[in-house]
Amino acid sequence: MMSMEEDGELLQDFLIDAGEILEQLTQQIVDLEKSPGDKEIINAVFRGFHTIKGGASFLTLEPLVALCHRTEDVFNVLRNGERAVDSAIMDVVLPVLDVLKEQFTQLSSGLPMREADPWILDKLDELASPEGRKISRGGKPVAVKHNTQISNKKKKRNPVKPSSTDIPRELNGSESLVFTARDNTQPDLEVEEISNEEFDALLDQFQSVRQGVVYGQQHNGTEKPGAEQPGAEQPGNFPIDNKPIDNKPIDNKPFNSKPPGSQPAGDVIETGAAPGVSEEEDDIITEAEFDALLDAIQRSNSKSDLALSVNSINQKGKGHYKPTTADHPTVTDAAPPVNKTAAAASGSAASGSAASGKSRDTNQAETTVRVDTKRLDDIMNLVGELVLVRNRMISLESLLQHEELSKVVGNLDLVTADLQSAVMKTRMQPIKKVFGRFPRVVRDLARSLKKEVSLELQGEDTDLDKNLVEALADPLVHLVRNAVDHGIESPEEREANGKPRKGTVILTAEQEGDHILLTIEDDGKGMDADKIRRTAVQKGMMDEEAAARLDDKECYVLIFQPGFSTKEEISDVSGRGVGMDVVKTRIEQLNGSVSIDSRKGRGSKVIIKVPLTLAIMPTLMVMVDKQIFALPLASVNEIFHLDLTKTNVVDGQLVVMVRRKALPLFYLRHWLIKGAAATALPKEGHVVVVSMGVQRIGFVVDQLIGQEEVVIKPLGAILHGMKGLAGATITGDGRISLILDIPGLMHSYARRL
Amino acid sequence: MPVKVLVVDDSRFFRRRVSEMLSVDPTLEIIGEAADGQEAVEQALKLKPDVITMDIEMPVMDGISATRRILAVKYVPILMFSSLTNEGAQATFDALEAGAVDYLPKRFEEFSNDKRLAGQKLCEKLHSVARVQRHPRFSKTWENKNMPPASPGGVTTASRLVKRSLHQAHRTVAPPSTDEPRIRKGQTSMVAIGTSTGGPVALQKILTTLPADFAPPVLLIQHMPESFTGPFAQRLDNLCRITVKEARDGDEIKTGLALLAPGGQQMEVRRNGDRYFVHIYPAIAGQNYRPCIDITFKSVASNVTGKSLAIVLTGMGADGSEGAQVLKKMGAQIWVQDEATSVVNGMPASVIEAGAADYVYSIDDIAKYLAQKV
Repeated sequence: MMSMEEDGELLQDFLIDAGEILEQLTQQIVDLEKSPGDKEIINAVFRGFHTIKGGASFLTLEPLVALCHRTEDVFNVLRNGERAVDSAIMDVVLPVLDVLKEQFTQLSSGLPMREADPWILDKLDELASPEGRKISRGGKPVAVKHNTQISNKKKKRNPVKPSSTDIPRELNGSESLVFTARDNTQPDLEVEEISNEEFDALLDQFQSVRQGVVYGQQHNGTEKPGAEQPGAEQPGNFPIDNKPIDNKPIDNKPFNSKPPGSQPAGDVIETGAAPGVSEEEDDIITEAEFDALLDAIQRSNSKSDLALSVNSINQKGKGHYKPTTADHPTVTDAAPPVNKTAAAASGSAASGSAASGKSRDTNQAETTVRVDTKRLDDIMNLVGELVLVRNRMISLESLLQHEELSKVVGNLDLVTADLQSAVMKTRMQPIKKVFGRFPRVVRDLARSLKKEVSLELQGEDTDLDKNLVEALADPLVHLVRNAVDHGIESPEEREANGKPRKGTVILTAEQEGDHILLTIEDDGKGMDADKIRRTAVQKGMMDEEAAARLDDKECYVLIFQPGFSTKEEISDVSGRGVGMDVVKTRIEQLNGSVSIDSRKGRGSKVIIKVPLTLAIMPTLMVMVDKQIFALPLASVNEIFHLDLTKTNVVDGQLVVMVRRKALPLFYLRHWLIKGAAATALPKEGHVVVVSMGVQRIGFVVDQLIGQEEVVIKPLGAILHGMKGLAGATITGDGRISLILDIPGLMHSYARRL
Repeated sequence: MPVKVLVVDDSRFFRRRVSEMLSVDPTLEIIGEAADGQEAVEQALKLKPDVITMDIEMPVMDGISATRRILAVKYVPILMFSSLTNEGAQATFDALEAGAVDYLPKRFEEFSNDKRLAGQKLCEKLHSVARVQRHPRFSKTWENKNMPPASPGGVTTASRLVKRSLHQAHRTVAPPSTDEPRIRKGQTSMVAIGTSTGGPVALQKILTTLPADFAPPVLLIQHMPESFTGPFAQRLDNLCRITVKEARDGDEIKTGLALLAPGGQQMEVRRNGDRYFVHIYPAIAGQNYRPCIDITFKSVASNVTGKSLAIVLTGMGADGSEGAQVLKKMGAQIWVQDEATSVVNGMPASVIEAGAADYVYSIDDIAKYLAQKV
């Protein structure tokens, strides 16, 4: 027996895989809703559930198996074309994903797994049967035994049968069924008179017809030569020698509607799919083998043709039972095969080319190893230490001016930089991981708010630090929800304003130097700056005069203040006024910044800037009264030398005019140096202009040292939690310097701003 | 040299489990993995594995198409992993028809409760599948079967093979004949066919040639898991002119009907006056084969009056040999499938070995003679 520990490992392994699949499924299902007819997606979803089920059943996780099995059945019905993707399916499949997610969480935290709600299982059971057919609760989907019980002789392609009296007939009323099933071109028979039971039986029968036709291919192959010459039979069974059999099943279709387009289409597939196989095996495959391969491919194509025709039989069948769906069965049903074949052809061709791409991907995947992120963190820390050593070496080198040493240090510098970026890359993940959940978020939200919203994702492949990806998830979700809830108007309102009914939310990620720029843009109603001003005054956040002085952009930033919400009606989605300030805080914790741009009636745009990584931070080192401080370079805008006599005091605040704008000015020494307030101020000094959101302020420092990449070390117990300090680091000359946290600093020292 | 295995499955989790299970056996070596059918084809041709484990549901290309493509270029023994559902069964039969040697249920606990034991079984299965380096479907012999028998090149291999197996049997017993069967048409009261590995394709071949008015009722015993026999019977039924159904307890055995023994259970013949019925009962612990050919054969021997015909087709092991001996004593005629057309020759050989076989035929001849002479 396996030990518990081994089982735990298995479980972990399973959860990692299944979690990935679940993420893909979430995306695929949303895609599917957009293009409900996409067989590729249906197949992919089917396989996703199938794979989770496989793993779950290996670990005997019954609740998971039960759920996945049923969902898989539903998608099996969908991929067989026995039911179309509609909102009813979506409404049950999406909760399935939620339940799965919940079950995974329960599993990973060692809690007992809860069974899915019975209504979900019931609903799935119901949907797992072809359209219109009901299965009672508890009935296993597609009951095998049940099918075999029904003697379905009459749908057989070969009418030569022993006299029917010899065969036990368990199916009543089969005679009329024979008629219906065989004579497809007849318009609706006495449909009204069919009872529910008979109807079920009919559908059963039809399912068998379908199978009958599929297998009919082989059957025809064996039947043709007849019992007299068994030696010549069986060509249909050979994958190699099958040419003659290829077209037969199509000709034998009850309606001779073999689409003229199907053969050329088949050729397209052939030429499209073959190179993918052949190119790479040039040296291995002989010509004869290649021919055989081509034959085999063609054979598989012809099989898909067959399947299509089968589908159309099915459609016909439905035409009889559901007269409303097909007004002119003969006309409408004759046409689809052509289109479908063409569609299938292009689909297969596409999948052929996709296949070669995919195989490259998977080859790559096989060269990967999974590493605990803890280990990566350790490596990152070590690299950080190395960076510090390098910094020291550089400063030593400049001190010693030794030629050999400078060479070595130059080398070390190069290698360290490479190592640093290489290690950083190992921690990089595409932002897709976060973006991936948005289609679902937007969809659900739009549905519940009765809005029409389409989401566009751009730059999903932008990489950033894993920790950042995770940390950004919640703020981004909040902003996207906000965009849909507050930004996008109802379809009616949009139409009234001359906009398209469907609103658009665009989510973009791009790398800009050592930063990642994320934007959430909507084409909704935008923000009303005056309304924000009024609210700010109402809530006592500022007086009317101050509010009036704010320009529009500054107004927008107010929404990041705690307790600020202009929405009159609080929905359960957003608008409780707790979110935006949290968003801002979170992003600032990441050394990032948020800003908003908006135009009334046209939409809003939230711009988030975050550094690529959290572990190593480029800083500007400054000196204040013989102490070195590091300012995050991300927030530094510019530096200038200042004649401190040109400052003014406005409204009790020291300011300096920079490009005709008043810039609030602060002496860092007043805040950071003990007893500095009393000392006389120098006549001139260096001003570092930093930005906080849209607000720009200037810090007066004694001396500028330069840029340095620093590794953030947590503060010791005494300083821990000090407002205004982000951490500490070791500088190139071996001294310790404090890293300033500008928003924190402002918050605790500057009144109002 | 270890047996080189290529593992094909789109689930990384499952590939790992298979690797784990195989890692205990030093004579099995995983030389590659593939996550979809397309990759499987490439890997199979590049790495030249001795055996492939193949999943069915996969992206890009499913396992059945991959099997076809691989086998169209080069023969490699393939073991399918199937899910035990109706769809899984149908897909498995398709895969077998495409040339896969054998299959295993994907839920390991379905063939063993103990995971370690399951791993052991998987290893054994892989070894035995890997030994099938000459699938009759893809051997020269088989291809040439379609040529006139006069062609000497085609038959030599076959007859040599037959002779060799005859030669082996010769030491103890009289060799079975390869001549036309001496049997009187219409005089056979029952035909019982037992088979294992390779059986689904062989049975399909035989049964599809039977005319609708084939007189003797047919009993089929195919080693197969419980959930597969239903779909298998259904599939055969759709393909054959006679009726094929999975046997249920109390079903009457009659003309035009072939009853397939249900998986996980045993099937015996009962007589009531001059009518015959099947008795189906759950297999008991310790019975290796469910259904067991010997059990059915013996019940035919003790209950059926008149001449019966028993046929033992391709299969691993020796099930059917004992039953065939008992039947033979009771005057039944015994045919076995020859080595050349058997996927695995174990069961037919054991019948020959026991001296119970009257005739040894290729699968085509069995079909032909059954349809024409019985």
